Amino acid sequence: MEISISQQGALQVVAISGEVDLSTSPKVREALLGCIKGAHGVVVDLSAVSYIDSSGVASLVEAFQTAKTKGLGFALAEVSETPMRVLKLARLDQVFVIYARVDEAVTAMA
Amino acid sequence: MNDPLELLVEIGRHFAATLDIEATMSLALQRIAHLMAAEGGALFLLEGDLDSGQLVCRASHGPVDVRGLSIPAGTGIVGRSVANNAPEMVWDVQNDPHFNKSLDKQFDFTTRSILCVPLSVKDEILGALEMVNKSGGDALFTQEDLTLLQALAGSAALAISNARMAGELAEKEVMRRELALAAEIQRGLLPSPGADDYPVCGVNRPARVVSGDFFDYFTLYDGRIAFTLADVSGKGMNAALLMAKTASLFRCLGKEDLRPGRLLQRINAEVCETSLRGMFVTMVAGIYDPATGRLVLANAGHEPPLWHSTDDQFQALEATAPPVGIPPELTGGGPVPEEVIYLAGGSLYIFTDGATEGYVEPGVELGADGFKAMVQSGVAAGHSAQIRINEIADCLTKDGAVLRDDITVLVIDDAKPLQERLKRGDNTALKAMTKDPAMGGGGVDSVFEGSLCSLTVPARAESLKLVRRAVSETSTACGFSHEQCQDLVLAVDEACQNVVRHAYGGVNRGDRSERGDQSQGDIAVDLRREKGSFVILIRDYAPAVDVKKIKPRDLDDVRPGGLGVHFIREVMDTVEHLPPPDGQGNLLRLIKAI
Repeated sequence: MEISISQQGALQVVAISGEVDLSTSPKVREALLGCIKGAHGVVVDLSAVSYIDSSGVASLVEAFQTAKTKGLGFALAEVSETPMRVLKLARLDQVFVIYARVDEAVTAMA
Repeated sequence: MNDPLELLVEIGRHFAATLDIEATMSLALQRIAHLMAAEGGALFLLEGDLDSGQLVCRASHGPVDVRGLSIPAGTGIVGRSVANNAPEMVWDVQNDPHFNKSLDKQFDFTTRSILCVPLSVKDEILGALEMVNKSGGDALFTQEDLTLLQALAGSAALAISNARMAGELAEKEVMRRELALAAEIQRGLLPSPGADDYPVCGVNRPARVVSGDFFDYFTLYDGRIAFTLADVSGKGMNAALLMAKTASLFRCLGKEDLRPGRLLQRINAEVCETSLRGMFVTMVAGIYDPATGRLVLANAGHEPPLWHSTDDQFQALEATAPPVGIPPELTGGGPVPEEVIYLAGGSLYIFTDGATEGYVEPGVELGADGFKAMVQSGVAAGHSAQIRINEIADCLTKDGAVLRDDITVLVIDDAKPLQERLKRGDNTALKAMTKDPAMGGGGVDSVFEGSLCSLTVPARAESLKLVRRAVSETSTACGFSHEQCQDLVLAVDEACQNVVRHAYGGVNRGDRSERGDQSQGDIAVDLRREKGSFVILIRDYAPAVDVKKIKPRDLDDVRPGGLGVHFIREVMDTVEHLPPPDGQGNLLRLIKAI
């Protein structure tokens, strides 16, 4: 699992790749909460995520809620097939703000 | 004390009260020497035979301690007395042709006169008693002295003989006790009988105290039962020791290797590595599934087990490989071929030749036909499997008959499991008795039925990737769609996560720094195909979890955590917490129709 963070205007784009599971999700959580602490809106790029489990989903939910209480934007973008299926199983596809593409999210949230 | 009679009585009493002949003898020599005014005395015992043995001094009294002195039997005056089994009274020792002067020189002593009497019981010569140098008077031993010494020699010989017999008896008693202990340990190696409705039971009657036969069975974590029966060539202690080794190997390896053919191959490799030359073990190993009646059997050189079907037919399942203990180089190695049968309510009898070759009455063997007849009458009488095989063993041991060989019988009885299956409405319960080769032949059923993949991993977050790969590959092989495979991977991952995080208490959300990477035990995952369903068994060895407290969370309440159980229930058709077979840990069964 890899995480890369880039600044795009006022937003941080967090691109995650590989498998997010019990052993790697703490790093995802740390990265997301770190961005929010810096008072940036966050777009999470899930295009290269091959697997995500409930602990990974929990990290996304926690970051989403933290951003919300701080009045910051939080969105998912380019959610690949596998994580989308998991989000649907959790009925979270209706809860998260999801964009088809990262630049779309950046433009919309600017 | 100067009364010879009184002295003899006292010494006799000493002999009777002790088995320490040498100490008593020293005391006796001292008293006798004093009584007959001799300078010294010695007890010589014969070691070996008269021609080539030695006379060794075991007790002495006098100015020189000659204990340990050893002279060839037949030499010296003592030797002459022993060889002739006759007393010697020599008044002028220095002029006796047999006298060994070098001994006098060695001990710086001058022997003048000797009185010597042989020690014997019946015809057995044990040694001699010797007194030297009578002092006072004319310094010559008298007829009275001789009589007294002979009387003493008589009771000493008896005491020595008794002590030796007591020693032999004690040795035999030690051996007997050790054998009894060995037998007790060996009985401990046999499984304790299961509950009344347990489908496997056995009986073992050793011909001697210890046995070269054994049987064993135990329930695997998924409810199947692994069993074995074996016969070590020979009887007695060497066979018993090899039996103990083979039994331990089965117990140990049988829990990790669920293919009986490969298990026998591995046991053979271990036995051969340290084998006792010329000893081998004929052995049957198998796995029986009460949930289906399916039985996988591997037979290494053993008497063919008999399968008794519900329509009263017998079928012998011949050995498909040489016995355990034959080096793999000689046989080409490889797993023992397996056979698969569906018991369909019938029973499988596995037995040693001690059962069929045992005598029903003197000179008349029970034989295979007699064995079958006893099975049939037992079934007809409605006797339980345990009673049926007890009756067979009883008829061969009636009136305390001495057995020619150990008798061991093991039975796998599918009658009650069949009833259970019928109660459940299982249509395949009465499935026709098929016999298909599980290996080599490669029928679809044999390859894709039962356990497809088993793995045991340490309960830690890093292990989950491996479990996911296994589930992904296995579910794909079973023909699930790509999406279904992803779902199954998620469900098993979540279930294993719960074991890592909750059962073993690795992490909770309040303390994520620990991440559960402190492994406190194992997770065993078994992926199976059973009658059109994909069955996943997840077993841990943590303290039992309170199932009532496990519940999926309310999805409307958006918060992190608690999604795992929801995922599992969403994906799987059936989620069950089962009691683990040995009452330890937790067992979760997930089922999804293929």
